[in-house]
Amino acid sequence: MAATAKRRSCGVSSSSSSLVFLFSVFSLCQSSFSGETSRRNLTVELNPGSPSLPSGGDLLHVRAVGVNDTLHFLFCSQGAPTLLLVHTNSSSSTVEVNWPQFEARNISGSLKVEPASSILYSSAVVFSRLLEYDDMNDTADPTSDLFPPYELQDFTWSRLNLSGLSALLCGAAKTFSNGSLCLKLSAFESEGRDQSWPRLLHTANSSQLRVWLDGVSPRAPRSRFLLELQAVGGTYPLSRVEVHRSIDDEFTPSIFKVSQWVSSVNGSSDVLGFLQWKPVSYRRSDPALEFATPCRHSDPQPQSGEEVAAASGLIRAFYAEPQTFRLNVSFGLAGEPFYNSTKFFSWTVLLGAGSPPVDSFSPLVLAVMAVGLGTPMILLLLGGVCVCVRKRATGYEPIN
Amino acid sequence: MADYEERQGDGDEGSSADGRTVGGPGRPMPAICDPSHILHRVVVLTFMCLLGFGSYFCYDNPAALQTEVTQDLHLNTAKFMQLYAWYSWPNVVLCFFGGFLLDRVFGIRLGTIIFSLFVCVGQVIFATGALLNRFWLMEAGRFVFGIGGESLAVAQNTYAVNWFKGKELNLVFGLQLSMARLGSTVNMNIMGWVYSKVADLVGSPGYTTLGISLMIAGVTCLFSLICALVLGFLDKRAERILHKEKGETSEVIKLTDVKDFPFHLWLIFIICVCYYVAIFPFIGLGQVFFIEKFNFSPAEARAVNSIVYIISAPASPLLGFMVDKTGKNVIWVMIAVVGTLAAHMMLAFTFWNPWIAMSLLGVSYSLLACALWPMVAFVVPEHQLGTAYGFMQSIQNLGLALIAMGAGAILDTRGYLVLEVFFCICICCALMAVVTLYFVDYLRGGDLNRSAAARAKLHKEATSDAE
Repeated sequence: MAATAKRRSCGVSSSSSSLVFLFSVFSLCQSSFSGETSRRNLTVELNPGSPSLPSGGDLLHVRAVGVNDTLHFLFCSQGAPTLLLVHTNSSSSTVEVNWPQFEARNISGSLKVEPASSILYSSAVVFSRLLEYDDMNDTADPTSDLFPPYELQDFTWSRLNLSGLSALLCGAAKTFSNGSLCLKLSAFESEGRDQSWPRLLHTANSSQLRVWLDGVSPRAPRSRFLLELQAVGGTYPLSRVEVHRSIDDEFTPSIFKVSQWVSSVNGSSDVLGFLQWKPVSYRRSDPALEFATPCRHSDPQPQSGEEVAAASGLIRAFYAEPQTFRLNVSFGLAGEPFYNSTKFFSWTVLLGAGSPPVDSFSPLVLAVMAVGLGTPMILLLLGGVCVCVRKRATGYEPIN
Repeated sequence: MADYEERQGDGDEGSSADGRTVGGPGRPMPAICDPSHILHRVVVLTFMCLLGFGSYFCYDNPAALQTEVTQDLHLNTAKFMQLYAWYSWPNVVLCFFGGFLLDRVFGIRLGTIIFSLFVCVGQVIFATGALLNRFWLMEAGRFVFGIGGESLAVAQNTYAVNWFKGKELNLVFGLQLSMARLGSTVNMNIMGWVYSKVADLVGSPGYTTLGISLMIAGVTCLFSLICALVLGFLDKRAERILHKEKGETSEVIKLTDVKDFPFHLWLIFIICVCYYVAIFPFIGLGQVFFIEKFNFSPAEARAVNSIVYIISAPASPLLGFMVDKTGKNVIWVMIAVVGTLAAHMMLAFTFWNPWIAMSLLGVSYSLLACALWPMVAFVVPEHQLGTAYGFMQSIQNLGLALIAMGAGAILDTRGYLVLEVFFCICICCALMAVVTLYFVDYLRGGDLNRSAAARAKLHKEATSDAE
């Protein structure tokens, strides 16, 4: 947790550039020393304890053990794809699944984290619906002309495809003639960034989901899409979205904002858990600046817990009384190309416990600026000394 | 566009004798038609100023339509910046020969018309490339446009010297420069509107709309071509009436002089290249930067992007006057470079309103232009002045071409922060060169940083010694 505390101290939108500069030098030094505290040992298990392949969809369990706590990431395609994060204060907590009950999807408590008293915090994100609208007048206003939404719980989902610390899940609605919606979950042992944009900074306390819609025929030539997310929590659900400005776009070129959907104890600034994303989606599978499209989100709205429990097997199984907020992420602004232009968009989000990671200047930027500003200063000093020596030597005679 | 104009005040004023012999045929004519009368010269001046309007207007077309160009043609930033690089490439060579071609090969009148034609044809090719969605054709268009553009500035200055030598020459240069900046400003602020009107007419934005908009922009080049023709006619007529002799205005350029250039001059070259590469490519990429980082509307972004030119138009003559009166050029250059560095750092590391940074950039840019270009005249003998200026412009264009490409690539892969840091580093290099120049000049007891009073005194002594 030392790492997260440190990160908060480095305010990015500080008013003074030099202050930012100093801060980041400071945080850079700190992070190089406190690197090992933010490592976790990860074990990945598919369908833990299941006697046979579950018919309704797979359950992936990633257990991330730290020094004195454990994070459980559970990713499940029973119903709408759901990622659940449970933070416990014990390094030996376990997940127990009662498979017959879990697959029946009608009783809560079929998936438990034991011991229950060790649970510090839990939250989940459910990808519930894909919405499409005909943006005839290119206003990117999703309230009009909405097509009937695609319910993700009705999709036909593939089996989870594991590779290393990531898992791929693809699915299609029955009405799709081709194409699919895919989600790729990545879990992390330590701090770092993905290879491809938006290159969100992740810690060992977070996992990343990349969602993409590839090759699906839109229902109108000028279609745009929205994705409905539901955030589920116990006592402290993710309730508000903060948008921070960041001057650092080194890893996500041209994006100067980061959005964080956070859960906090009433009124306090302490953040227990978060969903974090940059407001950008990419219109090609190999992201590049010219294929970046801004995205927007609506305000989180409280929603009935029963509805989301019905949609997602994992929510039903873990939460007795799920507290739910819902928001839509819409892809594309007015004037941006429509989905039809590339038939692809992708979007990336982090789910984690504790405070969201904050970008700081990379060593490259700091080193280059230090050298750039330092050298003229040194030259000025050297020159000054040189002139003084010369002056003294010539006895204050004007040189001519 | 390179600051060719600023040098002329010093470069040409001192050279060659007045070619005009007054006293034509006795027959009286109205003042406005009389080439020796001020009123006629004002008419000529109008055409002279408008001569460059088209090329300055169209030079920054890509910057004014950055989002549209990149979106309609599906370009990345690196490719987009190629449009600027291709403008600079021909001028790496042409800067040496522009004056020569004008004086010895075509003559001023034909030369001006030819260069105007190049500008026109270049812009038409550029627009056709957009119409047909052929990017290579657009690049070719910018190349042809570049051949004409910079040389046309030389032609404009030659005309000014021919008509106003020994009279209101500095004012004329000032007016021409202001007109050039006006062209850039109008372009920045009007092209977005033109594009949206054309889009309404065509039905949807796209490369067709872009092509038509660029064709419309090309009308300004046609207008400039007409000015070239009218000027050619008026000049011919004046020559006939006044029996004007041909004025030799351009210096002979000898490339072998380069090896004799003093160390000072090389430092000035470094300042010039490092400074300008952090200005023009930045303006080329500015619009989207202001939209994305500061949430500006496209119109607002274009406005703030053009503030550098807007400030430069009135500030150049004022600051020029100030530098002339005070001397101390090196200190002024240093202030300008530090100001620019501060502006770039503001843009890179803060969310402060970019109007502040861009205004500072505008003032610094004008100050640098006024203080840097005349310095060349202090460090090289007069007969090498042409070569020195030609070389300076040539490497400036080389720098612009390379950095334009590099800047686009940096933006595509590393984003605006790293790009701004890169520009800061360029300015830091310029700063190092200025600091070195200051000390080198100080230790050698050079002329560069003398105050105007000391210079005048020195000049007086020199002349009295000669007597």
